[in-house]
Amino acid sequence: MISLSTGAFYGRATRQIGSLRSRADELQQQIGSGERLSRSSDDPVAAARMRMLTRGQRLADVDQRNSDLAQNDLKLTDNALGSIANVIIRAKELAIQAASATLGADQQASIGIEIASLQQSLLFTANSRDGAGHALFGGETSGAAYEMSGGVVSYLGTAGTEPVPLGEGQSVTPSLTGPEVFNFEVGGVPTDLFAVLGTLAAALQGAGDPVAASRDAMTALDTGLEKVTAAQTVVGARLSWIELMDQRREATGELVAAEQADIGGADLATTMTRLQEVMTVLEASQASFVRLSQLSLFSMLR
Amino acid sequence: MASDLLSIAASGARAARSALDVTAQNIANASSEGYVRRSVRMEEVSSAGGLLRSNDISLSGVRISGIHRNADMFRQAELRRTNSDVTRAEAELRGLQNVESAIEQAGVYPAIVEFEAALQQLTSNPTDSSLRAAAMASADTLARKFNIAAGSLDAVGEGLRFEADAAVGEANIIGSELARVNLRLARAGDGSSDQASLLDQRDALLERLSGIVDISTSFAVDGGVMVSAGGQTFVTGGASGVLSMATLTDGTLAFEINGASITPAGGSLAGSALALTETANTRARLDTLADGIAATVNTVQANGSAIDGTAGQPLFAGTGASGMRLAITSGDALATAPAGAPAGSLDGSNLAALRQALDASGAASGMNNLLFDVSSQVAGRTVTYEALDAIAASARISLEQQAGVDLDTEAANLMRFQQAFQASGRAMQVASDIFNTLMGIGR
Repeated sequence: MISLSTGAFYGRATRQIGSLRSRADELQQQIGSGERLSRSSDDPVAAARMRMLTRGQRLADVDQRNSDLAQNDLKLTDNALGSIANVIIRAKELAIQAASATLGADQQASIGIEIASLQQSLLFTANSRDGAGHALFGGETSGAAYEMSGGVVSYLGTAGTEPVPLGEGQSVTPSLTGPEVFNFEVGGVPTDLFAVLGTLAAALQGAGDPVAASRDAMTALDTGLEKVTAAQTVVGARLSWIELMDQRREATGELVAAEQADIGGADLATTMTRLQEVMTVLEASQASFVRLSQLSLFSMLR
Repeated sequence: MASDLLSIAASGARAARSALDVTAQNIANASSEGYVRRSVRMEEVSSAGGLLRSNDISLSGVRISGIHRNADMFRQAELRRTNSDVTRAEAELRGLQNVESAIEQAGVYPAIVEFEAALQQLTSNPTDSSLRAAAMASADTLARKFNIAAGSLDAVGEGLRFEADAAVGEANIIGSELARVNLRLARAGDGSSDQASLLDQRDALLERLSGIVDISTSFAVDGGVMVSAGGQTFVTGGASGVLSMATLTDGTLAFEINGASITPAGGSLAGSALALTETANTRARLDTLADGIAATVNTVQANGSAIDGTAGQPLFAGTGASGMRLAITSGDALATAPAGAPAGSLDGSNLAALRQALDASGAASGMNNLLFDVSSQVAGRTVTYEALDAIAASARISLEQQAGVDLDTEAANLMRFQQAFQASGRAMQVASDIFNTLMGIGR
């Protein structure tokens, strides 16, 4: 004989309806938060992966910020290189004028004064600062990159610049050091733009043969311009490298976001359908429970 | 000796009254915890024919021979066994969930990531004082999060020990109650209603005890029970033992009965003990992780020089997750430059070394693994608990089906015994009619 005691009937009904209710509650919570995982133990593997993805995203955010700063510095470097090239071109024009023997000493002296002021403006550009206030062409020095004392301009910066990491093990050097821009060799003798301009200015102002000095300077300025143009190319290449890494980071970010949604997000359509299913079963059990609990022999006894 | 219709009918009416009483008692206790359905055992009363009266009709009606208690020993033992399992799983799961919350909600992992991110941000400009201050602030947060996690874990252990202590106290009370019930059972008559209610008490106490510690039982003829736990006798006859608990240095528990050590395999005590072992493990791993991060950072600091050109000093001090704290507060003391670099150096190679060392030492991945291990244990224990809970619930329902009160059956019994009572009354009426007929003969 299958007998069902009243206690067992109520106990089982309570258990069934209770478990359905808690299941519905869980689904409702998923819909409300949009997250499938409310605590790690809901799905330990997915939660661990989510943590790794979140960390990657956080570090990629910093990479993006560092990359923006490096891009900014390189753009400043590019601008500075542009004005340096202008200075060289203007100096070369003046040197061509001065090389002509038809000019008088006064005219040559005035050209010499302009060359000297060009040297000053070159020094000014060479000492320009980056976004953080450091010398743009000074490597890792905390002070100025160049200093003029007694008419001689000397480099105070360091020999190299620390590269900025862009993520995924890649990095970029955000600026150039002074020697990388200003120093070159003429006929096997190392010199720099400041020395070339200084010598020319001094020669034109009566310290030597102005015509010969102008001709020497023209050759040297050509080499110097080449050096600056080469530096501009390097900066352009680094800028495009940063852009490439930016695009890559963006693409990776999209993939990561998609994976996060896959792993941790609650799919609304599926969750809603399952909630509806649970609700239907719950309503049916509640209705049948009420009907069954009314079936008491006592209600028949009169 | 001949039969007496009136006394037969009277005994039937009496028996039916008693049966109605028992039915009413069943209905009244339909939802009482631990109540086992009673039924009335009736016996015919008749005497054997004696010498020279072998064909005599000699009937004396009916009598109540006893009150039967419909308990199934096997199902009750099964209920106790599954109850021990499910309470163990529940206590362990609850403890582990608290451990999980403690280390997850303390936010140690995000703090490690933030520290790494702050250092990485600093690489863009190692001398920037605000970036340095931000890195120091995130290092401070990291140390504090470790402190919080350690404190929360200690609180979880405290709570588990408190629960276990309360359970030990309850077990001792139940033990002495059981001894008292044993003594009263020895004096109760067999088949009496007193015995039935004492047996109900005994079974309810055993079920409560099985929720605290796994027990084995053996029953005497009079219904008295001998209880032993972990191989040690706890209750025998009118004597009950003393269960005691001791806390070891790492916070885990040891149990004794009357001074002999036992290892509970079930019940909430076993669950608390298992959860405490896991708490101690997690605590030790958290300490190792905190010490590892502090050692990595301090080693790299010692290889570099601060912004003023002096040698790098240790960043973290203290041992363990609870003792971890910042040794220096100024961001200027972060040794971003290599040893021997001049003051204010922009050279961030030691900072890069610090980031690489943190990554290589597995600060973030170590914490991630710890979280994963704890949460997967919780997930595994949840499955175990759900399975054991379903088994225990079905054991309870199966016992209730057999021992519980079914109101429909009782309603039918009510009608049956009411009819029996009415029929016996009718039989008395007949006896009276017969008597009147006999009295009227002479008229």
